[in-house]
Amino acid sequence: MQEAAERAAEKLGAPEERKWPLKPEFTPEMLAEMERLLPEKLKNRVVATSLAGCIHCGMCSDTCHYSVSIPEDKTLVPAYKADRFRKWYKSRFDWMGRIFPSFVGAQPLTKELAEDMFDKLFGGCTMCRRCTYNCPMGVDYGMMVRAARSMMQKVGRCPQNLQDTVDTHYNHGNNMAVPQDEFVETIEWIEEELQDEEGCEDFTIPIDKQGATYFLTLNPREPKYYPLTIQATAKILNAAGVDFTISSRYWDLTNYALFNGNDEDARLFSLWQVEDVKRLQCEYLLSGECGHGYRALRWELPNWVGGAPFKITSVMELMAKLIQDGKLNIDKSVHADKRVTYHDSCNIARSGGILEEPRIVIRAAADDFVEMEHNREKSYCCGGGGGALAMSEFSKRRIAAGRIKAEEIRATGANIVLQSCHNCTDQLKEIIEHHGIDAKVMNLAELVAEALVV
Amino acid sequence: MENKVSYALYILQEPVQYLALSFMALMYAIKISQLLKKPFPPERAELKGDRVSGALHSLTNVLRPWDMESTSKHLYFYTEFMIFHVAVALTIGSTFLIPLAPQVMTPTVTAVFMLFMAAAFLIGLRRIYRRLTVPEIRIISTPDDYFAITLMTVFFGVGVVTMWLWIQGRPETGWMWLFFLMTTFFLIYVPFSKISHYVLYPFGRVNFGMIFGGRGILNRQNRNVTWDPK
Ligand code: SF4
Ligand code: SF4
Repeated sequence: MQEAAERAAEKLGAPEERKWPLKPEFTPEMLAEMERLLPEKLKNRVVATSLAGCIHCGMCSDTCHYSVSIPEDKTLVPAYKADRFRKWYKSRFDWMGRIFPSFVGAQPLTKELAEDMFDKLFGGCTMCRRCTYNCPMGVDYGMMVRAARSMMQKVGRCPQNLQDTVDTHYNHGNNMAVPQDEFVETIEWIEEELQDEEGCEDFTIPIDKQGATYFLTLNPREPKYYPLTIQATAKILNAAGVDFTISSRYWDLTNYALFNGNDEDARLFSLWQVEDVKRLQCEYLLSGECGHGYRALRWELPNWVGGAPFKITSVMELMAKLIQDGKLNIDKSVHADKRVTYHDSCNIARSGGILEEPRIVIRAAADDFVEMEHNREKSYCCGGGGGALAMSEFSKRRIAAGRIKAEEIRATGANIVLQSCHNCTDQLKEIIEHHGIDAKVMNLAELVAEALVV
Repeated sequence: MENKVSYALYILQEPVQYLALSFMALMYAIKISQLLKKPFPPERAELKGDRVSGALHSLTNVLRPWDMESTSKHLYFYTEFMIFHVAVALTIGSTFLIPLAPQVMTPTVTAVFMLFMAAAFLIGLRRIYRRLTVPEIRIISTPDDYFAITLMTVFFGVGVVTMWLWIQGRPETGWMWLFFLMTTFFLIYVPFSKISHYVLYPFGRVNFGMIFGGRGILNRQNRNVTWDPK
C-alpha cells in the first residue's frame, strides 16, 4: 500500500505543465518563422532529394488510398499534395524557380499556400509511404511530409487533438493522462481477471520487476478501453514462460510527436522510455501491438536519443519466435468456424519490416486465413495512420479514404480482421461499420490467447 | 560513314559541344556536391536487413518492373519508359559518334538509332497528350513539364530526319545544324530543367534502398525468417 501511495505521489512527464499555443490560421509572423526553419529541414538529404526529385510522372497517382478511394478529388494525388510544400521549396532553392517561378510551379509561401499545405499534408496524407514504394525517383513521403508538418507545428498550426495528445504525453508521461495509481490498479485487476481463467491461476503481470528480460510497453488505449488485449498478451507471455514486466512509470509506447513532427518532444518521450528500461535493467524493450509505437521505439528511438543500450523488439516478433520454438501450445480448432484476414499496418510492415511474423502467428492459430489483395509492404493504409485519428477536422475524409481497404476486406469474406495497431483497430472498426461489413476486428494476441492450451 | 562537314559545322559539333558539355558538368558538379554535403539521416537502430544490398537492389529496380505496383500494373507505360530512355541515350550518343567516330554510324547502326528515335517521338506525342488529358496528370503538370517533353519529342523528330539524311551520305544538312543546335541548347538548359532528374535518380534510389533495405523490407532472401535480436 505504501508503495502504491509513493507511486501515486510521483510526478511523471515534464516537470512543468505545457499547452502548445495553436493558431486557427497562418499569420505573416508564422510564415516568416517557417521561412526561417526551412533551410534547417533541408539539411536532411532524404528530405532535400524528395523535394527536388519529383518529375511529375504521375506513377504514384493510383497508389495512395486517398486518391484511389476518393477518385473524384484529384487534389489528393500524392504529387499534388507534396507540391504544396514543393512549390514553396522551389521558390527558394530551385535554380529555375528563383528566376522563372511560374515556369516550374514555384510559389512563395503565402497564407493560402500554407493553409493548403496544412489541409493536404496533415489532413490528406497518413505518411504511409505506399506512394514512396511506387515512385521511380524514391521520393520519401514519410520524411518529407513530416518535415512540413514539423514546421507548421512549430509555428502553432497543428490539428488540435493531435497536439493535445502530444501535450498530454508531455504533461503526464502517457498520452491519455492515466494516473500512475490508476494504471497500477488496472494492471492488478487485469492480473486477477487473468488468474480467474482456467489454467492461468499462477499467471502474473509483474509491475516494476527489476532485471526482467522484457520490458513490455502498452498503448494507453489498452488500460483505458481494451484491457482484454493486455490480458491476452500477458496470458501468452506467461504460457511461454517469458520473463517480463510492465513499468508503473513510462509504459506508454506511443509517440505522437512522430506525427506532429516535433523532434524535441519525440526525443524527450523516447528518453523517458530509455531511462525507465535502464532503471529496471531489462534486456529488451518490448513493443506491444501498436503500429506507430513500434516504429517509434524500434526504428526512431535509437536515432532520436543516439542509440539504445538494450535490444528492441515487439510482441508480434516475439510471438512468432515463441511459436517457432514450440513454446506455445495452440488449439486451432477454437477458430475453426472463422475466416481471418490480416491488415498490415504501414508502420509495422512498410516502415517497420515486420512482414512474415504476423503470418507465422496467424497460421499457427487459424486454418482459414485469406490474404487481402494488397498485403505486406504493398498493403493499403487503412486511413487511420499518421495521426489521422487524432484529427477530427478531417474525419470525413479519413472515413472516405478507407474505402479501398474496406473493399479488400469484403473481398476476402473474412469475419475476423486481424491487425496489430490501435489506430488501425479504431479505423478498421469505423470503416467496416460504414461499409456494412460483418466482421470483427481483433489483434494477434487476442487470436492466439483464445486458442491457447494452458 | 564519313563526317565531311564545313568548318562552321565542325565548330558547332565539337568545340561548342565541349564547352556546353563542360558547363553542364559544372552545373551537375555543383548540384551533386550540394546534395552530398547534406548528411544522410542516421540509422542507429539494430538493422534487420542490409543497407548496402538494399541500395543496390533499389538502384536496379528499374530492371524489375514486377517490383513496383506502379510498373507491374502499367507494363505498357513501363515499356514506353524504357524505349524512351534508351532512345535518349542513343540520341545523345549519336551526337558524340557523328563527329568523333563516324565510322561506327553505319547505315545499319544508324537505322537502329532511328528506330528508337521514331518510337520515342511517338511515345513523346502520347506523353504530351496524356499530360493534357488525364486529370490527375494535368493537375500536377507545370510549364516545365510540358516544355521538357515537347523539347524531347521535337529532338527525336529532328533526330530521325537527320539520321535518315546521314544514311543517304549527307552529313551536312539544315537538319544536322538543327540537331546540333538543339543538342547545344540541351546541354546548357538541362541542368535547370526537370530533365536533369537522372542526376537525382541515384540519390533517391540509394536513399530508399538504404532505409528500407536496412529495415529488412527489400531484397528479402528468406521470407520466413523471424528476426532474433540476440
Ligand atoms: S504517404 Fe500514403 S497517404 Fe501520403 S500521399 Fe503517399 S500513399 Fe498517400
Ligand atoms: S511517382 Fe514520384 S516522381 Fe512521379 S509524380 Fe509521384 S512522387 Fe513525383
